[in-house]
Amino acid sequence: MLTTLIIDDEAPSREELKALLAAEPDVEILGECANAFEGLAAIHRLRPDVVFLDIQMPRVSGLEMVGMIESSALPHIVFVTAYDEHALKAFEEHATDYLLKPIDPQRLAKTLNWLRAGAHPALKAYPGSTNALRQIPCIGRNRIFLLGLDAVEFVHTDIAGVQVVGVKQQGTTELTLKLLQERTPLVRCHRQYLVNIDQIAEIALLENGAAEILTHSGKCVPVSRRYLREMKDRLLIA
Amino acid sequence: MFTGINHLALVGDLMQQMCVYLVVAYLLSKTPLFAPLMQVTVRLPDKLVCYFVFSGFCIMGTYLGFQIEGAIANTRAIGAVLGGLLGGPLVGLAVGLTGGLHRYSLGGFSASACAVSTITEGIIGGYVHFYLLRRHQAARLLSPMIAFGTTLVAELAQMSIILLMAKPSDQAARLVAQITLPMVLTNSFGAAMFMRLILDRRETREKYSIAFSAKALRIAERSVGVLMQGFNEQNCTRMATIIQEETGVGAVAITDCEKLLGFVGVGADHHLPGTPIASPHTFYAITHNEVVYADGAAVPYCCSVSKDCKLGSCLVIPLRGEENRVFGTIKLYEPTSKFFSSLNRTLGEGIARLLSNQVLAGKIEEQKRLLAQSEIKLLQAQINPHFLFNALNTLAAVIRRDPEAARHLVHYLSTFFRKSLKRVGNDATLKDEIEHVDAYLCIELARFADRLNVEITIADELLGLRLPAFSLQPIVENAIKYGISQMLEPGKITISAQLENKLLTVFVEDSAGLYQPRPDSDGLGMSLVDRRIKLRYGAAFGVDVTCQPECFTRVSICLPVEEELVPC
Repeated sequence: MLTTLIIDDEAPSREELKALLAAEPDVEILGECANAFEGLAAIHRLRPDVVFLDIQMPRVSGLEMVGMIESSALPHIVFVTAYDEHALKAFEEHATDYLLKPIDPQRLAKTLNWLRAGAHPALKAYPGSTNALRQIPCIGRNRIFLLGLDAVEFVHTDIAGVQVVGVKQQGTTELTLKLLQERTPLVRCHRQYLVNIDQIAEIALLENGAAEILTHSGKCVPVSRRYLREMKDRLLIA
Repeated sequence: MFTGINHLALVGDLMQQMCVYLVVAYLLSKTPLFAPLMQVTVRLPDKLVCYFVFSGFCIMGTYLGFQIEGAIANTRAIGAVLGGLLGGPLVGLAVGLTGGLHRYSLGGFSASACAVSTITEGIIGGYVHFYLLRRHQAARLLSPMIAFGTTLVAELAQMSIILLMAKPSDQAARLVAQITLPMVLTNSFGAAMFMRLILDRRETREKYSIAFSAKALRIAERSVGVLMQGFNEQNCTRMATIIQEETGVGAVAITDCEKLLGFVGVGADHHLPGTPIASPHTFYAITHNEVVYADGAAVPYCCSVSKDCKLGSCLVIPLRGEENRVFGTIKLYEPTSKFFSSLNRTLGEGIARLLSNQVLAGKIEEQKRLLAQSEIKLLQAQINPHFLFNALNTLAAVIRRDPEAARHLVHYLSTFFRKSLKRVGNDATLKDEIEHVDAYLCIELARFADRLNVEITIADELLGLRLPAFSLQPIVENAIKYGISQMLEPGKITISAQLENKLLTVFVEDSAGLYQPRPDSDGLGMSLVDRRIKLRYGAAFGVDVTCQPECFTRVSICLPVEEELVPC
């Protein structure tokens, strides 16, 4: 049984793919998403085997989205696109699987066969997917937005998930701390915190060997003993 | 009585002298040396020329004079006074000094008196110069009457100085009594004549240049744009007619590098447009990129077409285009019976330049037009594959669900393509443009389903207005591509138009507010539309974008309306 997720911003497009997949008895469609924000959440929540991913999507493209998926949760990705010269060229070079819209059922069958046989190319590195992130997709109160990295003060985890705290706004993101640490210049200062070095106003050293960062806008970020040394090295403080 | 006759004889002698003097002046007036004297200048080199010329005349006046009672009756004063008048006080003083010292060196009982008086005369001339310039009456400096009056005063001053300074006084008195009348008369008259000479010289020159500029201007005015419409037989014949009428030469021909394109005037019966070039002079002008003048005497001219041709001289001037390459010639002819005027020879080269520039400008226009055309082609070709495949994909889904709706989609798609491909003309009505956009939007509506809303509000009376074809669709496509399709929530496209003060503005607004200037590739459609409108109507018109981030992007296409409103 293959569990799949369809991520595409165009309803007719999802509908068509759904209809094609419905003909396959061993394929289960776990859900469908209309953009990368929903898509990331669904991947992390549903852990599908396969994701059919449209490239052209609002704000965060399919290619950018792949770079935001935690590597441990990375499913098989089948890119779906109507026409994208540059992406197609890169796919060919990296033996990445892709489908062209309108989808040819025979070509889809081939992909499904690879998947069933375990011969589907695993997405290790699609150029661009491992590039540094420039912005973090967030869900705030009633709205979805992209927060530029410059505006991020710090990121931390709590029960609700990963919180991104910006100068003016904050929200929850589907991205994990680990991924953010890898793909952004944010620096780990605590088991649950990443901080933007450029936003640090001062560091107050505490008696127990830990410290506390004060950001430019006056917010407090804890620094644990374990990460203080690294922080100091990073800031060239002996 | 005796003295009276003596006076008259002296007047005659001095007048004769002055004639020689004036002949020298006349001959000199033909040389470039005279040019600075024809206007009142402040330039040092001109002043120097002024000084040397009039000092020369001063000295010459002394030598041409003759001895009377140990003194010299002369026309020296003319040089000194005119030097001062034309060159100013300093030149006057310098000329006076030079002439005066020279006179002093010749000796005689009145030597020192004459020297002083010559200096005084120069200063008097200089003072008049200074005075008139102060009163902004520089033009009167060249007046013969002023020269006459000034010299008269100067001569009287000289007589007084001789009376006062020359010793013995009785001899001085006798001398003055004898020479006053002849010298005052001759010098004043001579100065006036000299001035007249300068004035004549100046007028001739001005007349020549006035005639020249008038002709040149009239040709330029009449020929505006003729050759810009193409360097062909029809336009060349029109051009040749204008040139022949204005210059009055016997005949005018215009050729390209191979054949005659236009011929007007004497000999038009056998110099037929369309025939190959036969004249060796023309070949020479083309191959050597040089002006060829065959005057029929030193350089023989003989019509290479017919023996009976009445044309006897010919001027061939190459027409030069880009990088100075010859692309043709213009030829001016005069019949054997007529002399080729130098005015027309000079004018000919100016005309050739005019023609060359016109042809060049025409070529640039042509290139602009071609560019605009190829840009339409580009816009047509821009029916981007992304749109096409997405449309087909949408269609595939809709066929499954609702065959009737799919049939409509196919219809819209074919309308869209037909309208995209068919338009070859430059213009379209607003109605055409809206229909094109409408077909496009119907497909996008199906594709984006509930994410896209469209509102088109355009008054019926505006639908007949014309605008460059393909102006609207690329803008709407941009609004979808960079606006609506990038929105996470449903968006809206609003298209409206207004006509104010003969200015048509079409607005395309999306509710995304995500516009970012894209200098490189993707905004191609929009910048092409902008460039085409600017090219056609001027830089004041074109495409303008206002964006309120996250709220709306409004693109306005603005252009002047040429024709009246026609109900459509």
